[in-house]
Amino acid sequence: MDIIGQFPLFYFPEYGSAWIMGVTGTIHILASHTSVGAAMLFAFLAYKAYKENRTDLYSYMKRYGMFILIFAYVIGSITGTGIWYTATAASPRGISALIHNFVWVWATEWVFFVYEVIGVFAVVYFIDKIDKKTHLKLTFTFAIASVGTLALIIGIISFMMWPGTEAYYTTGSASDAFFGINTFPHMFLRVGFMIMMSGIIGMVISSSMRKENEALSNELTRKMGFVSLLGGFITLFFFMWYMGTLPENAHAVFNVTKESIIQNRIILAILFSLYFLLAIVRPKTINTVLASSMVVIILIAGLWPGEKLRESMRKPYVAGQYIYSNQIVSRDVPGKRIKGELPVIAEKGLLQVNPFVPENLKVITAENKHEAGKLLARLACSNCHSLEKTGVYRPLKERLTGMDKESIKAILYAIGAGGMNYMPALQLPEDEYDALAEYLASQKY
Amino acid sequence: MDTSVLLTLRDPAGIPFYPVVFQALYILTWALHAAFVLLALGAMGLSLYGTFKQKEDPHWKIMTPHLIQTGKLSVSLLIVLGVAPLLFTQVIYDPNWYTTNALSGMWVFIFIYLLIAAYMLYYWYYYANKAKDGGGKMIGTISFALFVFAGVLMHNFAVTSIMPNEWMNMYAPNGVVDNSGWTFNVEFIRLIFLVSLAVPVVGIFLQNYSRFLSTREDFSKEFIAYTASLGTKLGMVGLIISAVAFVAWMMQIGYLMHPVIIATIVGVLILLFLVATNRNSYITTGVLVVVALLISGVRELTRYDLMANLGYNIYDYPVNLEIPTIVMFLLTFLIMGGVGIAFLLTLAWKVGKSEGVFDGSKDAAVTRLGTYTLAIMSLWMVTFFGWGMSILFKNIL
Repeated sequence: MDIIGQFPLFYFPEYGSAWIMGVTGTIHILASHTSVGAAMLFAFLAYKAYKENRTDLYSYMKRYGMFILIFAYVIGSITGTGIWYTATAASPRGISALIHNFVWVWATEWVFFVYEVIGVFAVVYFIDKIDKKTHLKLTFTFAIASVGTLALIIGIISFMMWPGTEAYYTTGSASDAFFGINTFPHMFLRVGFMIMMSGIIGMVISSSMRKENEALSNELTRKMGFVSLLGGFITLFFFMWYMGTLPENAHAVFNVTKESIIQNRIILAILFSLYFLLAIVRPKTINTVLASSMVVIILIAGLWPGEKLRESMRKPYVAGQYIYSNQIVSRDVPGKRIKGELPVIAEKGLLQVNPFVPENLKVITAENKHEAGKLLARLACSNCHSLEKTGVYRPLKERLTGMDKESIKAILYAIGAGGMNYMPALQLPEDEYDALAEYLASQKY
Repeated sequence: MDTSVLLTLRDPAGIPFYPVVFQALYILTWALHAAFVLLALGAMGLSLYGTFKQKEDPHWKIMTPHLIQTGKLSVSLLIVLGVAPLLFTQVIYDPNWYTTNALSGMWVFIFIYLLIAAYMLYYWYYYANKAKDGGGKMIGTISFALFVFAGVLMHNFAVTSIMPNEWMNMYAPNGVVDNSGWTFNVEFIRLIFLVSLAVPVVGIFLQNYSRFLSTREDFSKEFIAYTASLGTKLGMVGLIISAVAFVAWMMQIGYLMHPVIIATIVGVLILLFLVATNRNSYITTGVLVVVALLISGVRELTRYDLMANLGYNIYDYPVNLEIPTIVMFLLTFLIMGGVGIAFLLTLAWKVGKSEGVFDGSKDAAVTRLGTYTLAIMSLWMVTFFGWGMSILFKNIL
């Protein structure tokens, strides 16, 4: 093996390329979780409307439906594809590993997705065009299809963290990869969050109906308070279970900021519990501005840090604990006949084995040393760290402040020897260590 | 690009089934995706024309909101249907796909947010036009322009992906690495051909629209005749423009005499005849589907040949057979997908044909299809959890 399958590198200055995936992913999670939660809520409301002959509930469903069509489905479906696109640009081998392990799972999810997208139009637009019984049946299938999309994607994103046993590495089986030890807790954690989101968004809709029908608005706000409280409880319960299924490196990262994370979660849990209780006890006090503000709070204070944490806890891997964030295969996977790439890199160097490194930078000389060091920094570090002195996203300036070349080199040696379990154990030949350390020192962080 | 590099860029995990299956699924699903891209563009463009006529002309007063609605639904469908070819192409042509996306990383990012903006503005256009006849012209035009630009960006990705010999120059021109992700390539004739297809597609759609509504008593005969005639005109003019652009594209890349290309041209001629006579637009639509599959096949043929000539033959991709998940896909696709989509489409068809409320509970087909869909989905869920639990028990205990 003289070359490894690395692709051209896309680098977004100041932030690194991974953050664009993070932003898109966070927006997608808000939209997709709302849409699946809303589908479950619709099933509940349609059942109630049918059983109790509550035709007034249909007007709420219609308004809610239009809202999720525009916000959850437009944004959710585009950012869903968008995660793929941006992940492809930022982390091609990571996404390739997932695709080549789970293509049929994804294709199955696509079937549910097609049903879900056509179904949402039918559920919303046919509310007053078909009889209640058929609409109920339609709503039930729509809810199951929506949950189906979650059931199918969850094993894939859980595998990104780790499969949790050695089975996958020996068999190469997608089933062993998909049904890892954190798949189900992760799934129900998200089901809880979806239920909670459906209630939180539901309050935006119910509070906006106050002028037309105050009694119904209050009744539904109260109901949404109960729904959100239930969802919040499920989320917290399964979060505890989920944390217990994560690998050591995840806990190592988690422990760095454990106290502030726990503090943040406690504050959020109290704030939202009070909000839900207020909706139950005094539904009149929930107005559209408050309800919308709570959606923004959950996006900024709940989802964004949560997703950032989940991404950080995967470090140094991006998928299945065999692909590093910097696009290097870290170990053998005999079940798939995959060979680890660390030995060949240690022997020949990253510049030699990467097919997209131009000829003039393959061999380090006094003339090209700075450029080679810069390229090495981008290839090896930029997926997780912004490199500039003004870098924003996990910047190296915070980790290498005031260090000279030899101090930086000592850190690189330690990382290469596997001394930090959340960093890739990437060993380089001495000339590459030297060029990389010299370039980083020249930045004078 | 060197063959050994292209082969090394393949995923080390191999592929979980035979490459020809992914290739066939790619051709099939790209055709489906493209059909709705073209219908969306055609319906949107025509609806914008309608906003100028809507106030005075009673036909356009009815047709314009319907075209806007068609555009809206088509965008949702093109997105969901676009996921599948995206998936299958990166299984067998991963070197092309990932290299392109990294080279055009900024455009990839822009594409996503451009599409969101375009679709949000489209909803704005929809509500503005609903509120007032002729409303939303400006917003609709901006939305349409953004959608067209999103299409040009997709075209850029497709073209860049079949330029492997240029990748190194794009990434490191004169040996200087460019990580900015601003690579942009356009092939005008190919682009014009693909975009021009929006005209005949919306023409055939109008013929179907006219035929579908002809049984409804709340639509006048004049309206039905007008929409059919407009569809025929658009279909014929559009097909001629597309045919010329197609021939020009094939001449440019030297494929004009290839059997698949000749079959495509024959298909277009048959389509032209069917559109001109407009005896049964549903049959015309069937032929359109065949032509769409042929065009999708032509795209794939040119890519396959180009890569095979560079030593990258997808049929040689190492296979690591993965049976359980393909069984899951096939059963879900054929049984749940087939019955479920049949349920939704039958329901939509019957609702569209009815004036007032459609009572599905008294319709045997709708009732049965709905019950079967619900039962199949429930069974699917039980199977999923059963399967997951047995795997977990096996691996943990």
